[in-house]
Amino acid sequence: MSVFDGLKFRKVYSPIHNLDPRIKFVYVCAIFVVAIIFWELLPLIILFVIQIPFVLLAGVKRQWLRSMRGAALLATIIFLTNFIATFIGAGYTVTARNLENAIAMTLRFIVLVESFSIFFLTTSPDHLGLALEQTHIPYEFCFAFTTAVRFVPVLAEEAQTIMDAQKARGLELERGNFLKRIRNYIPILIPLIVSAIRRSLELAEAMESRAWGATKKRTNLYVLKMHRGDSVLVAITIGILATAIYVYLFFKVPSLNELIGSLF
Amino acid sequence: MAIIETKNLTYTYPSVTKPSIIDVSIKIEKGEFTLITGPSGCGKTTLCRCFNGLIPHFYQGELKGEIVVAEINPIEHPIYELATHVGLVFQNPDNQLFALSVEKDVAFGLENLGVPREKMRERVDSALNLTGIFDLRERAPHELSGGQQQRVAIASVLAMQPELIILDEPTSFLDPLSAKNIFEVIYELNRKLGITVVLVEHRLDLIARYADHIIIMDEGKVVLNGETREILRSEEARLIGVGVPKATHLYQILRKDGVKLADTIPLTSDEMAKLLREALKAQ
Repeated sequence: MSVFDGLKFRKVYSPIHNLDPRIKFVYVCAIFVVAIIFWELLPLIILFVIQIPFVLLAGVKRQWLRSMRGAALLATIIFLTNFIATFIGAGYTVTARNLENAIAMTLRFIVLVESFSIFFLTTSPDHLGLALEQTHIPYEFCFAFTTAVRFVPVLAEEAQTIMDAQKARGLELERGNFLKRIRNYIPILIPLIVSAIRRSLELAEAMESRAWGATKKRTNLYVLKMHRGDSVLVAITIGILATAIYVYLFFKVPSLNELIGSLF
Repeated sequence: MAIIETKNLTYTYPSVTKPSIIDVSIKIEKGEFTLITGPSGCGKTTLCRCFNGLIPHFYQGELKGEIVVAEINPIEHPIYELATHVGLVFQNPDNQLFALSVEKDVAFGLENLGVPREKMRERVDSALNLTGIFDLRERAPHELSGGQQQRVAIASVLAMQPELIILDEPTSFLDPLSAKNIFEVIYELNRKLGITVVLVEHRLDLIARYADHIIIMDEGKVVLNGETREILRSEEARLIGVGVPKATHLYQILRKDGVKLADTIPLTSDEMAKLLREALKAQ
């Protein structure tokens, strides 16, 4: 069940959690764009560091570290491919510049993971659904999204029950070669799908009974409002974007080698 | 005045030959607490689906006869029009709550109806208070116990302010104590707000005391229909397989054995105890 634990959102209140998810999303996109346009290590380090206060402010340090650890394997692969490619390209020599480029590519990936994990760790699915709704995405899609999130733990529990029942009847899941193991899961998948379909019919019945589709102008119990914090985040986002574009257009960003070299 | 009236209602599900309910002619008065009971598969759930338009709109199939619910003909009007008059609570609490927080779930029907936000907030809070779950309003439905979930389901139909609430075996997933609490909530709604209640239930031991009217069904037909004590007085109910209250059964046995007991048939152990005490004193 631990796989599904990450999908369960715990309700926490922090200045970051209370931010409007739409603004947060724009911020994530801005970071994304900046990380893509720079090839040099220095601006990527800056991007990485300026996001750390968000993590601390939101109080999600532990979960954040866990998601970063999850990204570590992929980051290593990215580093190695880049490094080996440039290593071969440079005629089998390790240069400081090659090394720096490989690190920069890896860090770019880490920055992306960092900003996305901040977004998802601090945005409740409810809020996200609301944001989707208020950006005029058809309600059916928003409803499908929140319902899917709502039923993840329920289906996980059901899968566990079916697994236990089938094991009690002698099904061995951990047996045989790779293909055989996949086939072992068929007696679990079929009952799970059947019961999910039955469940969805009951859900549809309950929705119909509660006036689903009565009016095109649906209202909502909650409304997203801009607060002071949101304006601050807007300012930060514009600041980062403007600085990045300015630097990108009018400066030649020095590589770390050159920078260190010029110091001595 | 009747809130539900059916005449010779017969319904067959699609791709089935045998009708699920046959010639059902019943009348349920406004403000009544009605109990529908009978063995499994006797058509109770099908009848409930007719009351709020799920049959024939959601299930298609063939519906014959006449039906009027809250002065509306469910055959001619869409389900959402009936939803403001009739609230339906289902058996499995897990499958009728779809939001990520309790209050959002209670608001679901009102959101669909396009009720303005301030008014919605008022009605949601009042529904939460009536069912005693105001403190749970920010919790996720899947974190709650079965009894609490069923209260949320009741609150969510209550928020739409229906004249009639239909509950289809709302306690079959619950332990006896939670079931008793749910019944008390339902009874309060009936007595204090004058909401008509139609309850499908097997546990007569817990619920017969609240009911004004009992309808007993068997194999798609209504076999007994009338005032609670009148219906339970006859042996017939028990023979169909209805679990009559133990006190009532004991009364029947003692009467048959010639014990002189007063004429009012008991529905609870307390009432039975009172009768016995009187009988012993008289001796």
